[in-house]
Amino acid sequence: MDPQMRQDLLSLFQSKLDRAMRLYLETCTRCGICTEACHVYASLGQTRYMAAYRHEIVRRIYKKYFKTRGKWCPALGESKELNAGVLDELKEAAYSCTGCRRCMVYCPFGIDTQMLMSIAKLLLIGAHNEPEILTMLADMSVAKGETLELYKESYKTYMKSLETEVLKKWKSEAGRTAIPIDVEGADLLYVALAGAHSIVPAAAVFNAAGENWTLSFFEAVNFGAFVGDPLKTKLILDRIVNEAKRLKVREVCICECGTAFRTMKQSAVSQSFQVSSITEVHARYLQKGHIRLNKKPLNGPITYHDPCQIARNGGVIDEPRIILRQLTDDFREMAPEPRYNWCCGGGGGLVALGEENLDFRMKSSRVKADQIRETGAKILVTACENCHTQLSNLNEHYKLGVEVKFLSSLVADALESF
Amino acid sequence: MALIYYLILVPMVYAAFAVFVFGTGFRLIKLWLEPKRAPQMPIFPIRRPRLLWALYDTFLLPTVRRHNPFFWFILMLFHLSFLLLIIGHLELIDDYRWIQIIPHELFLGNGLVGLILSVSLLYFLFRRFVSPNRDLSVPEDYYLLILLFLTVLFGSQMDWARRWYDYGNLSVNEYRSYLKSLLYLRPVLSPDLTEPGHSFLLVLHIFFANLLLIFFPFSQLMHGFLSFALNKLRRG
Repeated sequence: MDPQMRQDLLSLFQSKLDRAMRLYLETCTRCGICTEACHVYASLGQTRYMAAYRHEIVRRIYKKYFKTRGKWCPALGESKELNAGVLDELKEAAYSCTGCRRCMVYCPFGIDTQMLMSIAKLLLIGAHNEPEILTMLADMSVAKGETLELYKESYKTYMKSLETEVLKKWKSEAGRTAIPIDVEGADLLYVALAGAHSIVPAAAVFNAAGENWTLSFFEAVNFGAFVGDPLKTKLILDRIVNEAKRLKVREVCICECGTAFRTMKQSAVSQSFQVSSITEVHARYLQKGHIRLNKKPLNGPITYHDPCQIARNGGVIDEPRIILRQLTDDFREMAPEPRYNWCCGGGGGLVALGEENLDFRMKSSRVKADQIRETGAKILVTACENCHTQLSNLNEHYKLGVEVKFLSSLVADALESF
Repeated sequence: MALIYYLILVPMVYAAFAVFVFGTGFRLIKLWLEPKRAPQMPIFPIRRPRLLWALYDTFLLPTVRRHNPFFWFILMLFHLSFLLLIIGHLELIDDYRWIQIIPHELFLGNGLVGLILSVSLLYFLFRRFVSPNRDLSVPEDYYLLILLFLTVLFGSQMDWARRWYDYGNLSVNEYRSYLKSLLYLRPVLSPDLTEPGHSFLLVLHIFFANLLLIFFPFSQLMHGFLSFALNKLRRG
């Protein structure tokens, strides 16, 4: 690695150093309590997948270039020179970590491996060594936002074509648009994913609840966050924030996408609108009596997979259970405590990498498959697109014999008239 | 030899304390001056009051208790003994009525404090020789534990010698006058402290303790000061 490149990468490293990051980098005692926390380690048993081992790679670079003792006595802390070999180690560590933060629940200090992996991801971007497909997806997402005017009309036409599907689930009042778009003064802005499965059920429930809502022009998914590029993450987020401000909405509701929800929730702390997940909104409708669900006999026991970014990292824990209790009498918890739930193994951009890492995703999530099997459930429900894809893959790979469903779809299918 | 003893027992003690106080202070101030992260990223569910839960996490290590109860037991014994060790050293400077609420002889703990610390340090050290902890550990982890063990061992030896095998050459009063003189910046080394024999253990204890104080601000021992801030971040 040439000195200029190293210097540039170290500047990127420096840009990530705030108080919390320094605390994470300087406190680990390598006690090993986090060892069993990672689903990859628990499934594969390889040292390199221990949480502390992952962040130790970042920590050793930090010691080498940012700590005096790393410069004077590098052998003491085994500080590492930043070179091509270390970048490969960083890539292995960062893109086998789903950012689920389960290890943070184990660590006596609460060291955030995901944050430390964000340094690794940034260095990989700087060295043009990140997974190309994630950058391409992030770039496409940014470009799509920049050229919105070109797509607006075709998007509206597509939404018009989906309205019949929405009406099949819930008949709206005459004269009311089934999928309203660009409505200034709406109470709620719904940010969906590309695809009818993310829009139709949600629209039916909003209409059934009599919500004054509007659909966003933008996609919720934040590929910038997956690849670990703070600039692209912000660009993708900002356009939704700006749209919400322009339309003067009071609430931004994020579809079933864990990363989109978490990044939006964190960035909108001081905004004029509140950020909710669609699960929270549905639970609220049920509690306030805005919608009613038909507890029709579903095909067997139901279990729920708490998406890490929505539950452990987003705080939406009780709401899915409120909904599920209205849908079934045979709900089975997957983990004794939701914050200890195993990650599905598809987060952090791993699912977006597609077939490239399917084998790794399956092998590294054996514990998740075992956990699902132990519930004896026939229907596996979740509230995150990534988790849904990964769980469907696991279902096929491990022959779990479950039906994988979105929570919002179950709600839409069970809507009952008053 | 007398000069070496003097250097270890007087100037090195002052130097070690200076490095400890200024080094620790410098690191804490440097961390404090770093920009604060916004937004916070806690782990849910959030329990209130967050401050008390962060204190609970810091001092009672519930995550360790849940995932490795034996390790937790040893850690708690170690940290409690360490607290008693600090109190015991305070008593070596002067009499404090608040410490004598439960009347006891000096040094506190009937020799058990040093024994528990020594055994738990050996446990911490040897568990690092076994995988997967071996794969995580770096040389400084071993050196630090060895240094701690040596400091505790030689310190405890003085207590055990007096208490358990009737070697009364050095009494608590001599330690006390030595420590007090250091504190009042009028160092006095009584002949008993530097005479050959059991006093050699005192010199070794002070020497290793000095090294420990010097390394403290640059080592993982800083977790003692940083743990609460980190747990607060997790609690939100």
